[in-house]
Amino acid sequence: MKISHKWLKNYIELEAEPEEIKEKLTMLGLEVESVDYLGEKFKNFYVGEVLEVNKHPNADKLTVCKVQVGRDILQIICGAPNVAVGQKVPVALVGAVIPRNQHDPEGKPFVLTRAKIRGVESYGMICSEFELGLGDDKEGIMVLEPDAKVGQPLAEYFGLDDIVYDISITPNRPDCLSHIGIARELAVAFGLKLKKPKFKVVESDKRITDYASVEILDKLNCPRYAARVVLNVKVEPSPKWLQNYLQAVGLRPINNIVDITNFVLYEIGHPLHAFDYDKLSGHKIVVRCADDGEVFITLDGKARVLRKDTLMICDAEKPVAIAGVMGGANTEITDETKNVLIESAYFNPISIRRTSKYLGLSTDASYRFERGADPEAVIWAVNRAAQLMAEIAGGEVLQGIIDVYPVEIKPKIVSLRFSRLNSVIGFEISQDEVIKILEGLELEILNRDERSLTVKVPTFRVDIEREIDLIEEVARVYGYDRIPDKMQSVIHFSSEKIAVDFHKLVRERLIGAGFKEVVTNSMLDEDKASLFGENFVKVLNPLSREMSALRTSLIPSALDVVKHNFGYGVRNLKFFEIGKVFRYAFDEDEKPKYVDNYVEEERLLILMTGVAEPVSYDLKERVFDIYDLKGEVENLFRGVFLENYQFIYYSNNSEIAEIEIGVEIGGKYAGRLIKLEREFLNKFDVDADVYIAEIDFDLIRANSNFEKRHYVELPRFPGVFRDLAFVVDENVAVGEIEKAIKESAGEVLSSIRLFDIYRGERIGEGKKSVAFSLEILSKEKTLTDKEVNELIQKVVKYIEQKFGAKLRSY
Amino acid sequence: MIEQIEEVKRKLLEEIESVKDEKQLEEFRIKYLGRRGIIQTFFDQFKEIPRLEKPTVGKFLNDLKKFAQAIFEDKKREIESSKRKVKRLIDLTIPGRFKYTGRKHPLTQTLEEIEKIFVGMGFEVASGPEIEDDYHNFEALNIPPEHPARDMQDTFFIKENIILRTHTSPVQIRVMESKQPPVRIIAPGRVYRNEAISARSYCLFHQVEGLYVDEGVSFAELKGTLLSFAKQMFGSDVKLRFRPSFFPFTEPSAEVDVSCFICGGKGCRVCKYGGWLEILGCGMVDPNVFRFVGYDSEKYTGYAFGMGVERIAMLKYGIDDIRLFYENDFRFLDQF
Repeated sequence: MKISHKWLKNYIELEAEPEEIKEKLTMLGLEVESVDYLGEKFKNFYVGEVLEVNKHPNADKLTVCKVQVGRDILQIICGAPNVAVGQKVPVALVGAVIPRNQHDPEGKPFVLTRAKIRGVESYGMICSEFELGLGDDKEGIMVLEPDAKVGQPLAEYFGLDDIVYDISITPNRPDCLSHIGIARELAVAFGLKLKKPKFKVVESDKRITDYASVEILDKLNCPRYAARVVLNVKVEPSPKWLQNYLQAVGLRPINNIVDITNFVLYEIGHPLHAFDYDKLSGHKIVVRCADDGEVFITLDGKARVLRKDTLMICDAEKPVAIAGVMGGANTEITDETKNVLIESAYFNPISIRRTSKYLGLSTDASYRFERGADPEAVIWAVNRAAQLMAEIAGGEVLQGIIDVYPVEIKPKIVSLRFSRLNSVIGFEISQDEVIKILEGLELEILNRDERSLTVKVPTFRVDIEREIDLIEEVARVYGYDRIPDKMQSVIHFSSEKIAVDFHKLVRERLIGAGFKEVVTNSMLDEDKASLFGENFVKVLNPLSREMSALRTSLIPSALDVVKHNFGYGVRNLKFFEIGKVFRYAFDEDEKPKYVDNYVEEERLLILMTGVAEPVSYDLKERVFDIYDLKGEVENLFRGVFLENYQFIYYSNNSEIAEIEIGVEIGGKYAGRLIKLEREFLNKFDVDADVYIAEIDFDLIRANSNFEKRHYVELPRFPGVFRDLAFVVDENVAVGEIEKAIKESAGEVLSSIRLFDIYRGERIGEGKKSVAFSLEILSKEKTLTDKEVNELIQKVVKYIEQKFGAKLRSY
Repeated sequence: MIEQIEEVKRKLLEEIESVKDEKQLEEFRIKYLGRRGIIQTFFDQFKEIPRLEKPTVGKFLNDLKKFAQAIFEDKKREIESSKRKVKRLIDLTIPGRFKYTGRKHPLTQTLEEIEKIFVGMGFEVASGPEIEDDYHNFEALNIPPEHPARDMQDTFFIKENIILRTHTSPVQIRVMESKQPPVRIIAPGRVYRNEAISARSYCLFHQVEGLYVDEGVSFAELKGTLLSFAKQMFGSDVKLRFRPSFFPFTEPSAEVDVSCFICGGKGCRVCKYGGWLEILGCGMVDPNVFRFVGYDSEKYTGYAFGMGVERIAMLKYGIDDIRLFYENDFRFLDQF
C-alpha cells in the first residue's frame, strides 16, 4: 500500500529522514518495498516567465523566446503555437529528463541537452502537458497559473514534491492500511504522539430520520450500518491538495464527493460509499442477500451475476451496491448529483471475501473488509466524510446519524503471563517495557499484578485475540534484533538406525559414469501424460494447456531437455533424473497412498543420445546403442548391490519403442529400456536416436543389498581360464547360450564373459560364432587339467546338443 | 705387455670419444673386440708370457676386455637413445582421452549442503506427499477457508479439497500427527504455486521446512539456530536480520535476511543496494497448530522455518533466472 509522507505528517510530527522511516517500518513488520521521491521526476524543471517571443530566422514554425527562470534569462527555441509573452510556463533545463518524447512513437523519455536548432542555440525547453506526463495535450505548451512564482521548482508548484512509501502489509494487519494506522505504528517506534484529526460536523436542523431509513435483514453479514445525508452538494473537481494526496497514493481523482470517500478510506482505513440520494428509491437502505443468478451492473459498467450468498445494499426496490465490494451504476455520483447518502458500515469479512473471490473483483473496500475493518471506526469515518463534504462541496449535513448496530462487537479482553512471554522469547523483557509497548499500541491495561496483566484490545486490532498475539506484539515492538541469538540447544540422541541416503548413492554412481543430473517440471500437457497411463492426474486450474496434468512418466520432460540442448547444438547427451510420477489408483493398490487414492512413485530415468565417447583423435566415432544403455543400467545395479533383477525380451514392443527390454526387480515389473520410435520422437521435435531407461526407484532401493554388504572369504586358489567358441545358427540368442553354459558348468564356473561375435564366409551363411571366456574355480582345491578338461567337454557336449552348435576352438 | 695394455686402454678411451654413429661403433668393435681385434691378439700372445707373470698380466688383460666391453655398451646405448629421440618423439601435449563429465544438479547440490548443516545440528529428514489435502496444507496450519492468508499462496487444485501442496509445511503436521515431542526435523521437497512464470518465479520450486518442538524451545534459540545455519552456509562473517512478519502457522513470525555475502553488506546489484538478501521465513509454532495435532501447547513450544532452495542457490551462485534450473541446458549444468 502506498503511504504519502506529506499526508502522514498530518498525524505525527515526523522529523526522521525517509530512509530511517523505511528502516523503522520494516523492522516493525511493515516492509517498505520502495521509497519513491516524486519530486525526482521534475528535477531541473522550474517555473519560468516568457519575456520575449521572436520569429526564428530560419524556420517559420519556430520562435526564439527569452524566458526568465529565477535570476537567469534563457534563450529557448519553441515550436508551440500558443507561446506568448507574459505566460508562466514549465521550463526544463539542460540535463532534465523529459518524461515523454512527443516525437517518439512510444513516447520514450529523453535527456535534454543544449542544442542548436536551425542555427540558433537553445538552452532549455518549454514543455507541454504530454511531455511532462501530466496529460495528453501535445498541441501546445502548458500554461501555468498567472500567480506562479518564477524560479519555483516545478514539483513544488504541482505539489508533487511528496515522498511515497510502498509498504507491503501482511493480511493480519488491516489496521495498517491507512495513514493513521501507519502513523500509530511510527508513533510507538519513535516515541511520538499520534494526533488523530479533530473536527466538528456542522449540522443543519433538518433531521436525517425524516429523510432516510436503514434496515438490516442480514445481521450476521452486516453487523453495523450507519448513514449520513448531505444535501445540496456541488459536484466538481477536488481542490488541488486533495487531488495531490490521492495521486500520491496512486488513486485517480474523480470528483470531490468520490474523492472525499477515498480520502477518508486512506486516512482512517474505513471504506465508505456515497450514493446519489435522489436515485435511492424510497430513500431507504435495505441490507440483504441477492437472489441466485440476479444480474447487477457495478459502477465500472460491468454486469455481475450474483449468488444467494452475495450481500447486497438495496433501496426500497432494487439493489444499489454489492456490499463492501463495489457500488452500482444506478446510484453513482454524477455531475448532476445534488444530494448524497454516505454509507459507513461494517461487514462480515468472510462474506465479503467470498463475494470478492467468486466475482474476481478486488477493490480497496473489499480488501479492507475481508481482512477486518474496525466496527468502531464507522461513526468517525462517516462524520469525517460529512464534514469534508460540507467544507469542500458546500453541502448541508443533516442532523444526526442513522446507526443500525443490532449486536455490539465488544473489544476483546486478553491476558498475558510474564513468565510465558519470557519462555517463548527466551529472554526477559522488563514488565515496565512490556506495559509501555502495549500502551503505545493503544491497548488498555485493565489489570496488572506481579505475574500477569490483562488488556482491552481496541477493535481495530483484529489480529489480537490470544496471549501469543500479545507476546508477538511485545517482541515485534521491542525489536527482534534486541533478542539474543541462543547458540546452543538440547539434543535428544536418536535411537533409530540411520538409513543410507540411497538417492545420493545412486546419484553419485551415475555422475561418476558421466551422467548429468536434470530436474524437470512435473506438470505437462494432458496429451503427453495420457501416453503413459490413462489414470493421470489433472490440474483443475492449470497455468496453461502445456501444464494441465501431472506427469505419469519422466520421458516427456526428458525429451524436452533433449530438444532444448539440441537447439543449442549440444547433441551428445547423457543425463538422468530421479523424480516423482503421479496417478490415481482406481483399484486396490499396495502402494502407500497419503491422500485419497493418489499414488506418487519415484522413478529413475537414464537417457543417452549422440556419440558414445567424446570425440578423440584416435577413436572411431561410435553412436550410443541399446547395449550402452543396458551396460549403464547393469553397472548401476552392480554398484548399488542390486542382484535379483532380470531383463525380459519382448517379441513386440510398446508403440513408443523401436527396441524394448523390460526389467523385473525382485520378481516385479520395474520398468524398461527403450530405443524410442522415430515417429514418437517427432512429437517432441527430436531428430536423433534416443535411448531411455525408466525404472521404479523404490524397487531399486527395496531390493538393493547395499545395507547387507558382508565379507565372503576370498578363494585361496587361482582360477583357470578357458575360451570356447561355438558356431550356431543366427537365430540362437547369445543370452540363451550363456545361460546354458552356466547351467551345465555348475558352481565351479566363477565367471563368464562374452568376448567375440563373428560372422563371415569361413563359418558359412546364416551362422555366427560366439566366443566366451570361462573362469573355472573351486573353493576347495586347485583343479587338475584333467578335471577342467572333463568339465569343458561336458559343457561343449551340452551346448552342441541344445543348440546344434559346433565347437570352433578352445 | 702390461705397458702395451695400458697404452691400448688410453687409445681406446680416446677413440670412443670420436665415435658418432653405428658404423663407427662397429669399426671400433672390430678393431678392439673383434675376433681378430687388438684385445684378442693379446690373448693369443698370452701363452708366450712367462708363467710367473701370467696371473698379473691375465688380470690386466681381463680388466681391459671388460673395460672395452663396458665403454662399447655405453656408447651403443647412447647412440641408440639419441636415434630414438629423433625418430619417435612422444608428443605429450596431445589431449588425454576424455569421458563425459557427470554433474549433480545445482539444486541437489544446494539441498545436500542445507541438509548436511541441519543434520549436523541434530535434525532428521522427513518427507510428505506433493498431492495434499486442504486440511494438511491449510486448515491444520491455522489457515481456515475464506482466510485472506490463502491469497499469499496461489494454489493448483486437483479436485475439491485436494491440491498440489503450496509449501512443505504440511509435512510438519504429518510428522506431529505421527509422534509426540521431541520432534526435530527438516523436510525438503517440491512445492507448487499458481503464478505466472518469469525470471523470478516458476510454477514449482523446492523448499526445506524445519521444525523443532520440545519443552523450552524459544525464539532466541530459533535465532541462534538460523544464525549458525547462515554462517555455515554463506560464511562465518554473515549477519542475519529478523524482520517481524506474518505466517498463519507461526507466531511470532519473522522474515530473515542475510547480510549480502557478495558485497559484504555495502550494497551491490545482487542485494539491490540494500545490503540484505531475504532467505527464509520462520517463527514460533502457533498454539492453534499444536491444537490441531493434539500437542499440549502449555507444555511444549516449538519453532518452524522454511526456505526456498532455488532462492538460496540463485544467491549462492549468482543465478538471475529461476527458469534455468528447469531448462537443464548442459552449458548451465556444467558450471556447477
